[in-house]
Amino acid sequence: MKKKSGKHVLIYCLLIILAILIIVPVGWVFMASLKQNHEFYETPWKLPSGFYVQNFIDAWGSAHMGQYMLNSVIVTAVAIVLLLMLALPASYCLSRFQFKMKKVIQILFMAGLFINVNYIVVPIFLMFVDGEKWLKSMGLEPLFLNNIFILALVYASTALPFTIYLLSGYFVTIPKTYEEAAYIDGSSYFRTMVEVIFPMARPSIITVILFNFLSFWNEYIIAITLLTDPDGSKTLPVGLMNLMKAQNASAQYGRMYAGLVLVMLPTLVLYILVQKKLTQGMMLGGLKG
Amino acid sequence: MKKIIAMLLVGTMGITTLTGCGSTAAKEKEVTEGATDEIKEEAQSPAEEKAEEATDEATDVTIKVAAIETAYGVDMWTKVCEAFTAKTGIKVELTTDKSLEDVIGAQMKAGDYPDVVHLATGRPAALTETLIKENGLEDITDVLSMTVPGEEKNVSDKIAGGFTESSLTNPYNDGRTYMAPMFYSPCGLFYNSALFEEKGWSVPVTWDEMWELGEKAKAENIALFAYPTAGYFDAFFYALLYEAGGSEFFAKATNYEEGIWDSPEAVQVFDIIEKLSAYTEKSVPSNANNDNYLKNQQLILDNKALFMPNGTWVIGEMKDAPRADGFSWGFTALPAIADGKDAYSYTWFEQMWIPAAAENKDAAKQFVAYMYSDEAAGIFAAAGAVQPITGFADQLEGDNKLFYSIYDNGAKAALGSFAATDPVEGVNFADTVFGTVNSLVSGDKTKQEWIDSIKKDSDLLRAALK
Amino acid sequence: MKKSSKSIFLFLCIAPSFLLFLVFMIIPTFNIFRMSLYKWGGYSPDKTFVGLDNFIKLSKDMKFFQSFENTIFLIVAVSLVTFTMALVFAAILTRENLIGQNFFRVVFYIPNILSIVIISAIFSAILDSKNGLLNSILNIFRDKNAEPIYWLGDQKIVIYSIAMAMIWQAVGYYMVMYMASMASVPESVYESASLEGAGKIHQFFHLTIPLIWTNIRTTLTFFIISNINLSFTIVKAMTGGGPDGSTEVFLSYMYKQAYTNSSYGYGMAIGVVVFLFSFALSGIVSLVTKREPIEL
Repeated sequence: MKKKSGKHVLIYCLLIILAILIIVPVGWVFMASLKQNHEFYETPWKLPSGFYVQNFIDAWGSAHMGQYMLNSVIVTAVAIVLLLMLALPASYCLSRFQFKMKKVIQILFMAGLFINVNYIVVPIFLMFVDGEKWLKSMGLEPLFLNNIFILALVYASTALPFTIYLLSGYFVTIPKTYEEAAYIDGSSYFRTMVEVIFPMARPSIITVILFNFLSFWNEYIIAITLLTDPDGSKTLPVGLMNLMKAQNASAQYGRMYAGLVLVMLPTLVLYILVQKKLTQGMMLGGLKG
Repeated sequence: MKKIIAMLLVGTMGITTLTGCGSTAAKEKEVTEGATDEIKEEAQSPAEEKAEEATDEATDVTIKVAAIETAYGVDMWTKVCEAFTAKTGIKVELTTDKSLEDVIGAQMKAGDYPDVVHLATGRPAALTETLIKENGLEDITDVLSMTVPGEEKNVSDKIAGGFTESSLTNPYNDGRTYMAPMFYSPCGLFYNSALFEEKGWSVPVTWDEMWELGEKAKAENIALFAYPTAGYFDAFFYALLYEAGGSEFFAKATNYEEGIWDSPEAVQVFDIIEKLSAYTEKSVPSNANNDNYLKNQQLILDNKALFMPNGTWVIGEMKDAPRADGFSWGFTALPAIADGKDAYSYTWFEQMWIPAAAENKDAAKQFVAYMYSDEAAGIFAAAGAVQPITGFADQLEGDNKLFYSIYDNGAKAALGSFAATDPVEGVNFADTVFGTVNSLVSGDKTKQEWIDSIKKDSDLLRAALK
Repeated sequence: MKKSSKSIFLFLCIAPSFLLFLVFMIIPTFNIFRMSLYKWGGYSPDKTFVGLDNFIKLSKDMKFFQSFENTIFLIVAVSLVTFTMALVFAAILTRENLIGQNFFRVVFYIPNILSIVIISAIFSAILDSKNGLLNSILNIFRDKNAEPIYWLGDQKIVIYSIAMAMIWQAVGYYMVMYMASMASVPESVYESASLEGAGKIHQFFHLTIPLIWTNIRTTLTFFIISNINLSFTIVKAMTGGGPDGSTEVFLSYMYKQAYTNSSYGYGMAIGVVVFLFSFALSGIVSLVTKREPIEL
């Protein structure tokens, strides 16, 4: 008994140390966002001398972070809806039906996991450039670049391999009997999928939404490449990068950290709201491989 | 004599700081209030008749001008564009951004080229260098013989001597000019003159005096030297090449001549940088990147290091930073190699160019020519940017006049850069020559390793010379 | 009738996804392979076909090998440490009855939801040699006048600093993943093992790990893919590959060559090598770790 409690103390110490290693730095960003510019030249761990809320007002208003946040919300939401509409039926069919070409398509999607978005972004951009030239030659308006809906489409497309992989992993675990029962009742393939299978997959879907929300919300390399117009729409991380540009001009640290908080806050809130479901979704399959 | 000049400079720099702070503060405010990182403005022509008087150029042309936003702010660009439209009737669509490469780089890939670009070489994204390598710049030699809009004189009469003769404007060394010189600024070593007075030290005029001072400072726990990032060694290195062997040696070295790095002059340059790296504050390489370089500049303000290589913009950059009591900026050219030899200060300047794929080249050339009018130069000077116009520095007021008088006070001007080559895969000469200083300071590479890699890359680049 | 309606259904379900995947992933990847055979600066219209020239140059480029070495070090070191920590903490949190279990699980996952920009800002402050958190703590144990540790300046240390940031970011993610699969192991398995006198540590090695082995294998592939990616974004934000190229990794070197050294084709050749390398490494890892799944 005594030995056991000693071991527990050790475990608690370990856990608490790790927790502190995470909480302190994250809390520090919140603290830094309330500092005035000159305080950044002192010890970074000093508490702010007051609540300098002006940083947030500047970031939200004059640095357009408010408008960028709206763009980010739109891009993320559209991309997630698109992704679910595309990936759910595809992963369902790929995991539960036998047909010609199935193996090939599955292998291609698996290979897609190895394609790094960071290096295909420029070929994608060049493809859009050619597309714009073609549209111009047809006398049409430009469509592909500087369009947040196209950006959302690219996000959804590049997230397909991982999402299909995740969802298929769950779908294969569902017993065949559910569908067989539905077919006997005269339900069509489509209805069976939407009304019987998808509701069962809810926890997995929530996991997919959360994972992709995080990656879409924080993404900036694709966004910075495809949104080329300096006056056009930008997403929040791109706006943040703008705040950080300080080449030969004096840096506005306070505003930058306020921007960091604005990017971080929605993800933190969402995560804390759905964190239980996240673990649940992982437990129900998919990631168990 | 030289010491007196140095003292004089120290004194004048004190005044520079006081007025300098005021004007940069105002400048900064404009930037923050303008707040948008980019301002695109269709300047309207307020005086159409006046325009027709001035030139018979077609009035219905709009040129796209893209300019990098630096510490000088964007306001001066808006004003200059308006004044240009009033003078010539050519409308201007202005784009400015702090990282202009990201904005126009993407647009250019998409086939949408600005007509005029103001963007210097030597920036991390190296867009201007890329276009040089790719032959993407328009030959603007004829601009030099154009009349400055609204004036009688030719452009070449107005641009100060030497500015259109280096590889920074004539990248292919064929006597043709592809880039127009803009906003120049003497580069050298910045220091806290109050600290020197307090300690009774004098600013070294030779490198030997520099090393003596280094020992004295070490005794007081102050490092002799710090640098913002290794990239700041460009101006430093070029000036040192001039000091070691004059302009002829400089030309050979920057054209990668065979065996040049084994010459006694080159050995002198390498020895000085090696010795200087031993006197450098040890924490410098940790922060020598684009996110943390302000910490290195802070070392001078905190009296933790004596000298740093930099340009005039540093004063505005550090205006909010806390500093040692009584701090006042001092500025000097590099110490001379030996007593009686010339001291050099590198003349850093920015460049304006016309992409070869631009649509309105004639109007664009007019715009470039207009940059050298007294009117435009006046607007730029009000924001602190000084055009390389003959005799213009004499008209400067207060702080800038004193600052730019470094060349009148004995220091010689060093101009130029490494010659352009075709792209050589895997070779980035700036990284090889300047970037390695970080390793010299931390002791990760020896001087010999440094020289060997310079020689190796130099051979590869020689073969690819344009 | 039934047969054809099934085909239509399958086609409608799969075709849109596959088409987009083809357009936005397969074709761009194909273009990378194609462009790796050209010399092109990125702007001018003239692209010269140079065959395997770029790859031959690459095989002699010492800086590329340095980035190769750094990448492999980060993949191995970060994966090993993250893997061990995630597994141990997952086992503790699922197997032990602790107060605040939920709290720890939530907190440990937080770094994973942060943008890389935020993580690099945090670590720049922690690793600062003068008044950073880490040196302040170490100074309690060290001689006050000793030379501070230059976490981001000393070329022998800086790669470990990068690894530290990567581990900090990743542990929570894999921990939650392992927790998920550990929770699906029935309690009865552990009960019978306890009755046979197996200790906690013995159970961990002989029950937990074999039972979640398929999951572990999957995550190993994730480690490879995500570390190549993450090392790039973190290096880009924290050190820019410096000092003097000592933290250059695959993708940062690729970007440097393709965009700032006017060698787009050469950059794409690096992209090809990275792609093939990650593919091959995952294949090898998957082969080496193949075990018969344990039936309960």
